[in-house]
Amino acid sequence: MSDFMTGAAQIFTFATLIYMLFGSVAGIVAAAIPGFTVTMAIVLTLPLTFTMEPLQGIAVMLSVYVGGYTGGLISAALLGIPGTPSSVATTFDAFPMARNGQPGRALSIGVWASFFGTLISTVVLIFAAPPLALFAVRLGPWEYFSLIVFALTIVASLVGSSVIRGMLAGLIGLAISTVGTDPIMGRPRFDFGIEMLQTGLPFLVVLIGIFAISQLVSEVENADTVRSGNPLVTGAIDFQTWAVMKEVLMRPLNLLRSSMVGVLIGALPGAGGSIANLVAYDQAKRGSKHPERFGTGEVDGIVASEAGNSATAGGGLIPLIGLGIPGSAVDAILMASLMVHGISVGPRLILDHGDLVYGMFIAMAVASLMMLVVAVCSMRLFLRVTEVPKWLIVPVVMTCCVVGTFALNNRVTDLYLLIFIGIAGYALRALSYSLAPLVLGVILGPIAETNLRRALMTNDDPSLFFTRPISLIFLIAAVISIVWAIRSHLKSRKLSERSSDAAAS
Amino acid sequence: MSKTQAQEAGEIARLLSYVVILLGAVGLFCAAGAIPASRFEKLGAGAFPKIVFAAIALMSIVAIIDALRKISGPAYGRFLCDAWGWARRCYLVFICLGALSAYLLAIPVLGFSIASFVFIFGLQVILMPRRMPSIALAAVVAVVFSFGLNWLFAEVFTVFLPRGVF
Repeated sequence: MSDFMTGAAQIFTFATLIYMLFGSVAGIVAAAIPGFTVTMAIVLTLPLTFTMEPLQGIAVMLSVYVGGYTGGLISAALLGIPGTPSSVATTFDAFPMARNGQPGRALSIGVWASFFGTLISTVVLIFAAPPLALFAVRLGPWEYFSLIVFALTIVASLVGSSVIRGMLAGLIGLAISTVGTDPIMGRPRFDFGIEMLQTGLPFLVVLIGIFAISQLVSEVENADTVRSGNPLVTGAIDFQTWAVMKEVLMRPLNLLRSSMVGVLIGALPGAGGSIANLVAYDQAKRGSKHPERFGTGEVDGIVASEAGNSATAGGGLIPLIGLGIPGSAVDAILMASLMVHGISVGPRLILDHGDLVYGMFIAMAVASLMMLVVAVCSMRLFLRVTEVPKWLIVPVVMTCCVVGTFALNNRVTDLYLLIFIGIAGYALRALSYSLAPLVLGVILGPIAETNLRRALMTNDDPSLFFTRPISLIFLIAAVISIVWAIRSHLKSRKLSERSSDAAAS
Repeated sequence: MSKTQAQEAGEIARLLSYVVILLGAVGLFCAAGAIPASRFEKLGAGAFPKIVFAAIALMSIVAIIDALRKISGPAYGRFLCDAWGWARRCYLVFICLGALSAYLLAIPVLGFSIASFVFIFGLQVILMPRRMPSIALAAVVAVVFSFGLNWLFAEVFTVFLPRGVF
């Protein structure tokens, strides 16, 4: 209890709260710009925390972290471009809702879902950090591979209008992930002697090219609407703060399920927010009574994606606090910031620096509240983006995408890759390929390959995938997921056939 | 062009994409087979790509069969005409992609600030309803997001964007 009080006393100082407020604003703004990830925002914050007290520095970085997960929502909802990889699924429903004349409501739902997602993950973090961390670290390559097989079945929910094209897109994503040095032995693959392909196709460049460039270019397809000075989104700028809060809270099952998905995926090293939002969206769609409404501006879709990605913030801290293992790049930076102050991060962290750990829990809760306040106060400003005409916003956002692509590795060759990926992305969009499975394939490909090969290097008996209990559970879940998807697909086809028969008669 | 005609033209375009994907997958499957295996592991560096490309090839064949079933004979004759009509309607798309490509190729030569200014201002002028206030606004926006952005990154974040050869 004394540790808790000491931690709280350090967080609730005027200076720390002000720094956290700035951190929240910085995280939201950085993530709202396509191409800038939460990780980049935290990396830029790290040097600024060197002169602060350890807990103060961590609190500021957590504010950037929590703010960043929400910031990605802004461009996802208003521009249809995921601001960060963790808001890919947010584009599916928030963007159509904004396009249907409710941009304020779309943002508001996302902000509240993010807030509750972070709070739920903080509660889970407090109570479940040690046992969950031990569980996560026990998973071997067999379990990881089976988990990825299960995650790949999400493609079935993201296929869009055509199952075949959706699956092809997912496979193309997996194929893209195989370009460059192989992850186990370091052999060059498919680089054709071209230097810029030797390091592979960076995930963020693929994301920007496939989603952002193709979306921006498709905005100018109709020359008349562009030339008339039409804005990207038309509709009322109405935030409806409290009404939307009730709307989100009226979906407790979805909120809780999506947050738990976020926590669990966040707790697994190597996964993180970029997968959690898609898995949570998939689960919400499967659990919904109206799955056909998903993709058209469904509230449950936004709630699932935003609660899912925000909950990974708490989930990611579980292995860090429990075992001293950073589960993602952001957690590694948080760990580095503690080490700069001479604090050794490991299983003894909670015993040796209890005040710091409890302070982190409190900082998470405060950061989420601060994010909510900043978001509610600044959303009107962000919503002004919707009034900007297309002719102005398209070149400007393209330039931001270029800066994001370059700043990732400081490599000019990434810009050349962006040209090819952008053109390919637009071609796929114009040909009605679903782009989300492709991005999922790019994320999951390296994890699947690494763990498959690692498992067979450890023991060349492939039956271990079926005899290890947790691996078997994931594989059974994958089979159930596929059967469920086929059943839903057949059901919706029957329904549409019936309705067309009725219309004909 | 009627709705059915447009759908059929789209279906032919997709059919062509399936064929390109199939050819690419077969070629890369063969390339993956040429990657030497390792004595230290059961699966080599080429095994996973081979599985993926085989799946792509299989799925492309299914897609081709499905597309062939949907397309009527006369649609093939109309395709070039329909595609040309689509390209003419969406000419701004090609201008945008061309401008972006030229911009990205010019960055290492002209530097971020100058290349971005020319790109933003030029593309805005092409896309905008041309009136004096709009052109003035476009110039201000171009300065802010080229020279201003470069200054912000260099001075605040100490991230240096390409400076060019000049």
